[in-house]
Amino acid sequence: MSALLEVTNLKTWFPTARGEVKAVDGVSFSITPGEVLGLVGESGSGKSITGFSIIGLIDEPGRVVEGSIKLEGRELIGLPSHELRAIRGKTISMVFQDPMMTLNPVLSIGTQIKLALEAHEKISAADARERAIKALAQVRITEPEQKVDFFPHQFSGGMRQRVAIAIALLHRPKLIICDEPTTALDVSVQAEILAEMKELVAELGTALIWISHDLAVVSSLADRVAVMRHGHIVEIGPALGVLTKPQHDYTRALLDALPSRAKPGQLLLRGAGIADAAPPPRKSATANLPPLGSPYLVIENAVKRFQKPAGFFRNIAIKSGIAQPAPVVQAVDGVSITLKRGEVLGLVGESGSGKSTLGRMAAGIMVPTAGGVLLNGKPVMSGGRSARKITTRIQTIFQDPFASLNGRMRIGDILAEGPLAHRLVTRAEAPQYVQEWLAAVGLDPTFANRFPHQFSGGQRQRIAIARALAMQPDVVVCDEPVASLDVSIQAQIINLLIRLRSELDLSLVFISHDLSVVRHLCDRVAIMYRGKIVEEGEAGPIYDNPQHDYTKRLLAAVPVLPQAAE
Amino acid sequence: MRDTLLGRFLEEFFRNKVATAAAAVVLLIVLTALIAPLVTPQDPYDLTSLVLRDARRPPGYIGTGGYTHWLGTDSQGRDLLSAIIYGLRISLQMGVIAGGIAFTIGAIVGCSAAYIGGRFEALAMRIVDLQLSFPAILLAFVIAAMLGQGRYQLIMALIFAQYAYFARTAHGAASAERQKDYVEAALSIPLSPLRVVLKHILPNSLPPLIVVATVQVASAISLEATLSFLGVGLPPTEPSLGMLIANGFQYLLSGRYWISIYPGIALIIFIVSLNLVGDQVRDQLNPRLRR
Repeated sequence: MSALLEVTNLKTWFPTARGEVKAVDGVSFSITPGEVLGLVGESGSGKSITGFSIIGLIDEPGRVVEGSIKLEGRELIGLPSHELRAIRGKTISMVFQDPMMTLNPVLSIGTQIKLALEAHEKISAADARERAIKALAQVRITEPEQKVDFFPHQFSGGMRQRVAIAIALLHRPKLIICDEPTTALDVSVQAEILAEMKELVAELGTALIWISHDLAVVSSLADRVAVMRHGHIVEIGPALGVLTKPQHDYTRALLDALPSRAKPGQLLLRGAGIADAAPPPRKSATANLPPLGSPYLVIENAVKRFQKPAGFFRNIAIKSGIAQPAPVVQAVDGVSITLKRGEVLGLVGESGSGKSTLGRMAAGIMVPTAGGVLLNGKPVMSGGRSARKITTRIQTIFQDPFASLNGRMRIGDILAEGPLAHRLVTRAEAPQYVQEWLAAVGLDPTFANRFPHQFSGGQRQRIAIARALAMQPDVVVCDEPVASLDVSIQAQIINLLIRLRSELDLSLVFISHDLSVVRHLCDRVAIMYRGKIVEEGEAGPIYDNPQHDYTKRLLAAVPVLPQAAE
Repeated sequence: MRDTLLGRFLEEFFRNKVATAAAAVVLLIVLTALIAPLVTPQDPYDLTSLVLRDARRPPGYIGTGGYTHWLGTDSQGRDLLSAIIYGLRISLQMGVIAGGIAFTIGAIVGCSAAYIGGRFEALAMRIVDLQLSFPAILLAFVIAAMLGQGRYQLIMALIFAQYAYFARTAHGAASAERQKDYVEAALSIPLSPLRVVLKHILPNSLPPLIVVATVQVASAISLEATLSFLGVGLPPTEPSLGMLIANGFQYLLSGRYWISIYPGIALIIFIVSLNLVGDQVRDQLNPRLRR
């Protein structure tokens, strides 16, 4: 079969003040009609820019400096913009990561589909509506006759992405480029969309370029896989072959970085990222602590309700019956759970399950509406109206290392601030203490003088870990600490957590939506669903033999890599 | 070290030629005002040095003192150039002192309201809103008229008229910062609320406050000039720019334009330059206006 799309030696460069950034630097591949090509790589590998280059949407000042992109033998590079527009959306269409950004919030779905239709053909309003209803039905949206008049905010994230896919499919394109279309979605929704996409592509005979950082997702869909790094394709071949018998070192490293392929508790990537780390400066004072394995952090019947506060006038209106009080959201609905000393407890759930809210209450940074949190028999927060955290023995690591460090403070001050305020160190000891902690998380001790903006995401997360541990806690609540990191960086942070935990006898509450990371790190797992814990127990049995229906569904939804024949 | 926040900020600032020129003018005016006694031929406050024979002379007149009055003299025989430089000095003092205190009060009110929340926030911000609903000039006029003439009275009036702008801005910025992870991280250590507000929320709320400050210092100066022009500002023995303009006002139609016009031009140049600098600072500190 002749190629539908042929990309040869594509180079897309971005001139900057510090010279050209070669985002895509000599990429060649071809795709036949109906084929699914997975484009895999870490952030900055050039995978998205490759996609944008194909449909001619490179933002200024970036440009394609060399190479050719042929669609059915016709050269796309250098085509005038009106001819490109005729191709874009009709012959090649695109689906983006965040459907909230690509759908217009002030137009109904039907209107947006009508506009997309009118871009390429003359069509009456009635026909357009009919086509829109058909398009929505095609992507498995129930009751399309009503949904066509909905606005984007009335849909869930998964439904919005379905609408975006429906729009991309409108003109029966020969090629669809999907840029991380399921990354922002929950696993169960992702599984549904992956299955539907697979069917649709087979049904319509559309070729698909699926851009993703997630090897498992790509493996469940793609016929062929291309692995990208630094603007080059390092390996391309049939999906099964690339993922089970990788030829290139980088592909192998990417696969080794995945916790799902290692034994639980093992260091990933042969211990990458901790070889250069020094031992932590001191152990917590463990004299008065109960022995390892005894109940330590106890959450008793914790409840958290959220309600939009009513102002003065609204309160009067509510009291006199003119207005309704704002609806109450029950984020956490009576959860009791105990963390044993030295244990790693995984808190798993999809978005909106209340896992982060529970974690915040456990960490003493959110006041429970009812119930309490006790650390070693003592409450973590003071009571009364102005409740405050009163212990330093429980610390927190946050998800986004770009948001969790104060950009106006030097790293040394960020690390020393807490220990100084609580007199764990004297002012004279502080610089030394900071340097020892930087070394303990594998960073250069001289970084203490720098500001957060000078560091990468992985380095910042190390700093955040050092900040939490410098307070010498026994319990650390980790709220999705690796969710925003690339797999190889994620592996390093996981290794660091495994090592520090065993050296400091830490107990961890590990909150995550990623079931494979939780399986790898946690001794015990609690599955949260709609504010309640539906299942709890040792990690092994839960993963191998889930009891609750929700747990079963969740585990079934996780895409799995084909296992390598050893 | 090039790669500091300040270094990058200045580099970007100097790329705008107009703003750089304006900054140079502001700097020149501030320096001249600071060393006024050294550069002016006459001390306009020294009433004994005034010679009535030299009054209302046009620019270029060589007076009894033996030196040229480059911008002419006013109705009391003051050298106008000296008076303008001294006037700028007073205006600048008023603007910077009043602006600085209003900045501090406003930042404290705004940040603590955003941090504490609840009734305190509601009450403090409603008072601020109430004040913002009156024109600043009206508030300043009422206060200045109540307190009487004098430097400190005028400064109080200016602070009272201006702190609300800072409080509103600080409150908005601090409310946004309050939600961010690094504040939560600080609370989870836990650090005391005072430290969280002063070391974490306040420094990160500064950029919009600095923008307001550059505009408000300029507006404090023009407010002061307006009040002095209207006669409720500084006493005639300490002529500020507004007073100079007011003094020359009655001679405008008799052809002795210079007594009013030159202090006016000085005021305009100063305020326009300050605003140009302020605009550039605003453009650079506002992430939404970035390319």
